[in-house]
Formats: sequence, structure tokens, C-alpha cells
Amino acid sequence: MDIRQATIDDLIGMQNANLLNLPENYTFKYFHVHSLPADYPREDEPSPNTEPSGHVTSISVLRPYRRLGLANKLMKQSQEAMVAHYNASHITLHVRKSNRAAISLYRDTLGFEVHAMEKAYYADGEDAYGMRYLFKKPGVVDQ
Amino acid sequence: MAHAAPKHRQLPDKESKLFRELLTQYELKQYKKGIKAADTILKKFPNHGETLALKALTLHSSLPEPLTVSAVPKKEEAEAMARLAIKKDITSHITWHVLGILAKSRKDWDEASRAFAMARKQDPDNIPLIRDSIALLTHTRQYDLALAARHHYLLLRPQIRASWFALIIAHQLNGDLEEALAVCNDYQTTLKEEGATAPEKAQILLHILRIYIEAGKDQEGLDKLRQGVKDGVISHRGECTVLKAQMLTNLGRQEDALRTYQELLEQNSDNLEYYKGYLRNKGIDLSSELTDESRSKILDTLSTFSESFPRSAAPRRLALDFSAGDKFRELAKAYIVRGLERGVPSLFVDVKGVYTDSEKMKVVGEIVEEIVAKLEKDASLTDDDSISPPTMLLWAYYFLALHISYPLQTSPDYTRSIELLDQALEHTPTLPELYMAKAMVLKRSGDLLHAAYEMEKARLLDGQDRFLNGKAAKYWLRAGEIKKAEELLAMFTKKDLPATQDLTDLQCLWFLQEQGDAYRNQGNLALALKRYQALVTVFQDYEDDQYDFHTYCMRRMTFGGYVSLMRYEDQLRSHPGYFKGALAAIELYTRVHDDPSITEEKITPEEEAERKKQAKKAQKAEAKAKKAAATSGEKSDPVVPDEDPTGIQLLKTDTPLEDGLKLWKPLERLAAERIETWLAGYELYIRKKQYLAALRCLKNAQSISPAHPALQYQTLHFNKSTSSGSAGLPDTVKSVITSELPSLLPTPPAEFSQSLVDKAQSPEEIYYAAKGILEVDEKSTEKVTEVLSKLADKDLIPNIAFMAKALELVETKGTKEAADSLKEKYKARCPSAWVFQSPSEKENKLRLYQEGIAGFQGEPEEKK
Repeated sequence: MDIRQATIDDLIGMQNANLLNLPENYTFKYFHVHSLPADYPREDEPSPNTEPSGHVTSISVLRPYRRLGLANKLMKQSQEAMVAHYNASHITLHVRKSNRAAISLYRDTLGFEVHAMEKAYYADGEDAYGMRYLFKKPGVVDQ
Repeated sequence: MAHAAPKHRQLPDKESKLFRELLTQYELKQYKKGIKAADTILKKFPNHGETLALKALTLHSSLPEPLTVSAVPKKEEAEAMARLAIKKDITSHITWHVLGILAKSRKDWDEASRAFAMARKQDPDNIPLIRDSIALLTHTRQYDLALAARHHYLLLRPQIRASWFALIIAHQLNGDLEEALAVCNDYQTTLKEEGATAPEKAQILLHILRIYIEAGKDQEGLDKLRQGVKDGVISHRGECTVLKAQMLTNLGRQEDALRTYQELLEQNSDNLEYYKGYLRNKGIDLSSELTDESRSKILDTLSTFSESFPRSAAPRRLALDFSAGDKFRELAKAYIVRGLERGVPSLFVDVKGVYTDSEKMKVVGEIVEEIVAKLEKDASLTDDDSISPPTMLLWAYYFLALHISYPLQTSPDYTRSIELLDQALEHTPTLPELYMAKAMVLKRSGDLLHAAYEMEKARLLDGQDRFLNGKAAKYWLRAGEIKKAEELLAMFTKKDLPATQDLTDLQCLWFLQEQGDAYRNQGNLALALKRYQALVTVFQDYEDDQYDFHTYCMRRMTFGGYVSLMRYEDQLRSHPGYFKGALAAIELYTRVHDDPSITEEKITPEEEAERKKQAKKAQKAEAKAKKAAATSGEKSDPVVPDEDPTGIQLLKTDTPLEDGLKLWKPLERLAAERIETWLAGYELYIRKKQYLAALRCLKNAQSISPAHPALQYQTLHFNKSTSSGSAGLPDTVKSVITSELPSLLPTPPAEFSQSLVDKAQSPEEIYYAAKGILEVDEKSTEKVTEVLSKLADKDLIPNIAFMAKALELVETKGTKEAADSLKEKYKARCPSAWVFQSPSEKENKLRLYQEGIAGFQGEPEEKK
């Protein structure tokens, strides 16, 4: 096992893993655009008061590599990076309502909470839970 | 432009206004309005070149992507109009610029470069034109010209912040790091005051720090890094720490570097590079042979780390690589027990990394045998009362089954593997992994069809799992069941497209390769080539994708990502996906060259009937669609269809060797360290009768691996080809061959060939030594058969692929009796291998497999 920052050399492999594992697929260019660092606030979110936040688009572990705690470790590293590089205040993600294993990982292991329900979020009509994780800012007292 | 426009370009006020509107409409993508405006001008001034050019550009931009049938003539019209525009106004920057843009969209980089250069001659200070030129010059790797254009741009627009950074990047790409850093320093004072966002500033500084490392200026880089952290520009965590560790290592400041790697490991204790960086700074050279002293130093360090990071496997796994003897046995046992207790399916794949050391492979086998025996007897590994998890024995069976059938085993025991997995299945009949393992063992034994049936069972246990679906499809493809594979894949691809089309659109590399191979094995060389060429196209698209990033990355100031993209693209085709597909296609092209008759389709009457049926069906569907479109009032405008859906036009090429060379050229540049590159190059050049190029391939192969079996064969082949065909060779060529050949062929051919036969031990050596015999004496087929029968030896790792190739060789060159008796020998050694079964045996087995799956209780098919 080797957990590290992805490099451009990994993109074809990531595209391949996505095709092997998940029903929503994209061409290479999509992977490349999303491998570039993003600016905050995003261009499509013009509100100047928006705090920087992270969003997990997709996380996936190839079937033969389950039970190693990879998803957990990857999520923790991405949380670390979001705070270090963007000073993010929170992370959001969507998860299929039926995906109990993932919901349990996010809620019980990683400390996410459900903050919204989105009807028919997925192309096949399934609902999604919107989940959120709030970072505790050092030196800031909870109000 | 100071001087007035020439007369033929001037327009009266009304048309001049329309022309300016046309420009705006084009930029706002109001293509219909734009074309109308252009037509109004052209009605009065049909020879106005710039209007013609802009109309061509607007029309071209309005076309749908991908191109539809009705858009094809419009595209041709736009191209012709752009050319006409040049004729009407050859001194206009607009007409040339448009010609360049259209050429660019055709990916004709040469014509685009020429047109942009002409346009810049007409108007050197045109900003959009310079921007387009920079992108094109960078894309075509004319970094020096790109740099000059970048400079010019900066002089015209010095107030744009991003241009300064872009200049740094232009210097870096041009290989001038000193100049890049000089610009950084000049501009640094302004950086702080400028309004870049915080993440932008951080990205820029991190990239500048990378340039310092690249330039070998680690001390200066380190100072800049410290200042950046102090000023709050970059966080002291993450990437910054990685760069700091690199700089300290380069500076030889071991103590500080160790502290920094320690910090990194506390942030991420599963990163192998951090451990290696730490060990290097302990003064251990990991690249060379380890001494006992450094071994124990490494293991002590790793053991401390595994105590500090109990949840990380990395230090314990690394210790398996660096330990030996009893220490290895002790560490490996602990590692394996822990993995089995947790039921980690990938444990075998993880541990087999040490099998390159055959002693370690043996020890791992002993450890697992011991665990299995103990668990079968006591249900526990320890002598106290603690009980091991009940699934532990199951995972131990699973590990052992994969271990004893592993291809590096001299005598893989497939029968026992299957027995172990069946035992595990008795315990847990619904675990897909066990069927997957059975499929893998059967695949290794050569029974591809049985393997596919077992993989299908794994899939049936979890029909929603795309991974299992893809695996099953792959196994069906390997078993030659192409249609079955497509049916499965279609469960997860777009509903309105054939699975093949969707997977091609999505650049699915594994599928294109496997389906190409499946068609090739079936003798459908046209479709095989079609799929291999689709693979090649995917890589072309990866390359073309970068075009948009030349401007995108500069705008978004993602310089680090941009520079790594440029470097990545330069070596893109060294990717194994391209390598494999290109080699397979080249092999087909050489076959077409040797025997053009294989491009004639050999189809059975049944296939012919099926094809007619399909054509009729398609015709009906088309008529129906037309009718529906007519009644609904919507115009049906389908995407331009593939002109060669079966690949037959590809296969029926008049220039197979040239087509093959086109695929080979990138390998020559990017995969020069792979011997397969030169072996394939030889096969192309020798057929082109370019003897010196062929000789160069042999010499390059020799420098990589002088004893490679295929190289020895090719050497004998080369000797024969040049001595028989040398009559017409120019003296210069002859003299080069005479002086160079002895380094490859030190003894006379017959003696050389005999020595290959005597030395041959591996399956590959045996096969090529046998093939070499024919290059010395075409008639000694008996000897060839005798040598090839060694492939069935008990002490040799059985290799079905080479056995099949050997059989093919004897079938074409030797007698039928010889081939049959060889086949029997191979079959005795590999009783399950599908290729050696008789038709009746195949039929019986097939019935068995089908019955086996008929009663299989899987989950119901997809619920959707």
C-alpha cells in the first residue's frame, strides 16, 4: 500500500479504475481538468463571503483492494490537504441513499453528518444524501 | 497599423459598421446573425477578403460537434471560402489568421504554423493573434519561438500579471532555468501587492520552489520557502514539507532532512517515498546491494516506525523487502497472519512482490502450509485458548491456492488449488472472491473457457458490481465469446449506444486491447486491427487534449500542473497501453505484408446469412427513423457514420509496412529501453529490405539484452536474408554488414544455432532456438520438433503460449504426424489447456460447464 498525492502519470490509471468500478464515466480531459488546483471562491460561486470549502466528487476502491481501510485513509489525507492548502471550513459530498457501507464510513468513522436530502440526484433516479464535515478551526471558539 | 488599409479592403460606412458587428457576433457566438451580416456585405462586395474569411470562420464555428451528415458540405464550404479569402486579400492578417484557425481545428499543425506566421507578418502587434501563436508554438514544441512571442506580448501588455508568470514558464520550458528564476526575482516585489488570491499565490510560489530544485539551487530555494511560510503565502504542511525534505536531502543536511521526513510520516504514515527518503538520509543507499549492517539498520528503523504507526502496513511490508533468512520468515509470518485474520483479499497480491526472490517464495509457501495445517487441526494458531476468526482458514486456503498455482512455480499444482478453493466454498458459498480465484487458477492452467464460466459465477453473485461484470466480460473475451462479453458490458454502458461504441468513446483501454486480441485469435484480423487502431487514436486524443491547456492553465495560473502536463505529453506513448496495442497492430501489418491473401474475408455461409439479415434490419430501422422524422417534422441529422466499421479498409492497406512504421516511430523515441521495440522494428525494416535500419535494430536490442532469445533468432534470420539477398546491395551497405555482423554472430551460423539449442533452458529460449534451426537449414524440421518437445519437460515451468506457438510452427513446417505427437506431449504436461483438446473433448467439457452454471444460484440480474 502506498498512499500519496496523485501525479499526472496516474491519470490514465484513475480513468481506468473509474471505468472498472463506477457507472458514471468521463473522458481523459475531465480527469485532467480536475487534477489542476482549484481557486476559491470558485468562479461559478461569485459570492465574496463564501468560505472556502471542499467537495468530494467521487471516491472508489477497486474490489480486490477492499478491507484495507483505503477509503478512510484517502479521505483523511484529502481533509488534511484541504485545510493545509485552502484553509477550508468544511467538506461536502453526495452519497447514494442505498449505499449503507459508504454512509457508515462517512458518518461513523469520519464524522460527517447528513445535512440535506436531494431527490433523484443520480441519473438513474436514486436519491442522494448531502453530507457535510465541519473543520474545527484552531483558536476559534465555537459559538 | 499606421498606414491606411489598401483600397480593396476599404468598405463604405454602412458595410464597415456591419463588418464590426460581424466581429462581435462571432465572439458572442451569434453565428446565424453573423453569417447574415457577412452575406449582406458580400452581396455588394463579393471580393472582400476579410468578410469572406470571417464568414468562413463563423460558418465553421457554427457546425455541430461531432460532425453530422448535413454539416459535411458546410465544412467543405467554409474551408474553400477561407482559401478564397486569402486569394482576395493576401496581405490581411485576418484572412491568414482564419486560415490558421481552421487548419488548427483540423490538427494540421504545419499549415496552422505557416498561416499564423504569415498573419503576424501582416500585423505583428495583434493581441489575439499572438495569444493563438503562443499556444500553437508551445503545442508544436517550438519553445524558443514561443518564448519570443511571449516576450513580445509582455511588451505590449506589461500590466497583465499573468503574463509575467507565463514568461517564467516559457523560460522553464525552453530549458533556461536561470532566466526563469531571474524573472521571478525581478517580479517578486510586485507579486506581494498584486491581487492574486491566496491559493494562487501559494501555487505560484510552490512552482517557483520546484524550479529552484530543478536548477540545483536548493539553498536559495530553502530560503525562499522559509520566507514564504513566514509571510503566510504557503502552509508549512503538505507539498511544502515535501519540497523542503527534497532540498535538505540534496543539500546533504541529514539531521534536518530526517526531522522533515519524520514530520511527513506523521502527516501520512502510508507513503513509501517518505520511508525511503528517511532511510536515504540515514546514509543507506537503497539502489545498491545491501550489506548485513545496512540491512539491520533498515529493519531497526522500520520496526520503530511500525510501533509508532501501528495502523500502517507500509513499514511492516517494506521490512519484507529488506529482510532475509530467518528474520524474513519471522516478519513474513507475522505479516501474513495479520492479513489472514483480517480477511484482506489482496494479501497474496501484496506479498507476491517478494517472489522475484525464489527463496522467499518458498518460505512464504511453507508459512501458509503451516498455518493451514494448524488451523485445520486446532482451529487456532496459538496454544492458549484464543480462537482464530472462523474465516481465517478460508482466507488461508485462498492464499495457498493462489500461491501454488502462481506462474513462477516450477510445477504449479492446479488440481490442489481448485480443491482448496472448493473447500473454502463449502464454508462460504457466496463469496465472489473464491470464484474469481478459481477462474484465475483455471486461466493459468490454460482452460480459458472453464475460467470464464467460474468468473461468470462470481458475477452472478453480485450483479450490481461493475468490477465483477468487467472481469467476467474479460474472461469471456479471452475464451473467444465476444458476443457474450458485449452483452454483459452493455449492462453498465449507455443504453442508446452499442457497448463497443460507448467504451471506445470513453477511451476504455483494457477493453479495446482485449477485444482486439479476441478478434485476432479468432482470425478476424480486420476487427482486431480496428480495435488496435482505436487504442492508438485514444492516445492521439490524449495528446490533442493538451491544446486547450496552453491558455487555460495560464489563465488559471496552475503552472505546476501545466509544466508536468507538457513533460507528460512528450513521453505519453511510452505508456504500456500504447506499447501493447501498437506492437499487436505492427504484428498484424507484418502478417498482411507476408500474405496479402489474409485480408480476403473468409466467411461461412451462416455468417453470410447473418450479415445479410443484419443489413436488412439496419435498412428497415433507417427507413423507420426517416419516416418518424418526416411525420414529427424534425429533421434527422445523424452523426457522420464510420466509413469502415469492420476495419476491412484498414486491413486491406497497400502499405502495411509504412502503416506499421507510423505506430513504431513513437516507440523508437519513447520506449527505446524496451527490447520489444527493437525486435518489432527489425521485423518491419527487414521486410522493407532496409538492411542497415534492420541491423541498427539488432544492435540496439543487443545493447539492452545481448542474450535475448528472439534476438538470437533474428540474428540468424538477418544473416540468411542478407547473404541470399545481397546480390543487389550497394557496396557501402555490404561493407557495413560485413564489419558489424560478427559482433552479433561471432561463430558460423550452424555452430551458433547449435550453441543456442545446447544452452536453451527457458520456454522462450527453446522456442527461438528451434526457430533458428530453420534459418540455417530449412529441411531439418525433425530436429526442430525434437527441440520443441523439450517444452513439455517435467522440470520446466509449463508455458502454454509458447507451446501453442511451437505447435503452429511444426504444423506449417513439419509433418502432420510430428505435429500430432507433439500435441500429445504438450497435452500430457498441460491436461487442462483448451488449445490441446480434441473437438469431442471440448464438446463434453462445454456441456459440463453449462450444466454447472445452469443450477447456480446467483443473485437476480440487475434490478433496474
